[in-house]
Amino acid sequence: MTGQETIASILEKHPQDAAELRLRLESLTWLVDSRKNLDPRQGFISSSRAYIEHKIESISPQSFWQRVLRRYTPQRWVFNIVAPAILIVLLVLVVNSLVLSAQLSIPGDPLYSTKLTLEDVQLSLTFNRVEKADLYIQLSRERTTELVELALEGNYELIPSAARRTETVMIASLHALNNIADQYQASERPMLSELRETLTNEIYVLNLLKSSSPPAAHPGIELAIQTAQSGLMALH
Amino acid sequence: MPGKLDDDHELIKKAKHGDPQAFGDLYECHAPAVFRYLYAHLESRMDAEDLTGEVFLKAWQSLPNYIERGVPFLAFLFRIARNALVDHYRQNNRLEARAPDDMDGYHADESAGLTELISNRMEHQQIIRKLGQLRPDYQSVLTLRFFGELSPEETAQVMNRSVGAIRVLQHRAILALRQQLDETG
Repeated sequence: MTGQETIASILEKHPQDAAELRLRLESLTWLVDSRKNLDPRQGFISSSRAYIEHKIESISPQSFWQRVLRRYTPQRWVFNIVAPAILIVLLVLVVNSLVLSAQLSIPGDPLYSTKLTLEDVQLSLTFNRVEKADLYIQLSRERTTELVELALEGNYELIPSAARRTETVMIASLHALNNIADQYQASERPMLSELRETLTNEIYVLNLLKSSSPPAAHPGIELAIQTAQSGLMALH
Repeated sequence: MPGKLDDDHELIKKAKHGDPQAFGDLYECHAPAVFRYLYAHLESRMDAEDLTGEVFLKAWQSLPNYIERGVPFLAFLFRIARNALVDHYRQNNRLEARAPDDMDGYHADESAGLTELISNRMEHQQIIRKLGQLRPDYQSVLTLRFFGELSPEETAQVMNRSVGAIRVLQHRAILALRQQLDETG
């Protein structure tokens, strides 16, 4: 394509590839011709060279580390450290307050199911038999306290389901106590008396509440009293 | 070409030591190719001139990192040019076109004849229109290879592809361009 050659002369030399070559050569010719139209105007390069040389004297080249350090100013570093730390602290506070609220909830509260889940997790993570028995007794006490609170708040319709939950956890406590009876008698005794005391107190309070509550609430309270009494019987 | 590469190497070494004259020589050597590449994508000659300057100023600032990357100097320049084009398009979408007086440093040449100016402008418009009909990667490979005068290896570095892929792409781009020339006349 340089010198005296034209598209036609090249095609004559390669007739077998003429069709393919023609397409390519015509495009290439157009590109080469177009290049001339894209050349910079006369004098631009030399005048802009002076401008560039003048300009770069005031700008020193920056190394990779200089650019990184310029991008990450001390304020930015502080922000990058402090912002996640604040977020983590806030997250911990929110989770902590949620757990606390869940632990104070009673049946019917929105967070009550969270409370039960947390207790399940706690139980599944307790492997020592004595500690597990102790935990079951604490849960029995928690359930009985919930029964009393429900009666005090007048949520009588929730008492039957709460009584069933109390029964379940009480049976689990008795099983746990049986499991440690042979090996850990010294540990078992205080736990037994603790559970007995809890159940006795609950029966006393529920009887008091029954006398002051409307007749419609009596079946639920009765059921709770029977649950506590059967627990006491089992302990004897 | 090896002589030119050696010259480049020497000039880059001097420029890295802060020699503006050496960088000026590099500018004089490569600015026409960079300008052609940019002008093939831009409507305004003044924008292309402005961007050419910007590309070299950015290259000057990034010069200390250049050797470590192991990219040929032209490929290094054209990568900057490509990014500058992207930035320019982005900015143009957001900002109004700047007034000619606003251009920092240099001004359009008023000595050229009016007829020549109009003719150049029309031919330039035609180039932009025809290239604009092609796929973006076809446009890139043609402008880098034929207007930027990059080798297939350098083009591969700029476009982040293998040399083989660039050859195939160029072949297809040339055929697509021929088709375009037939359609638009």
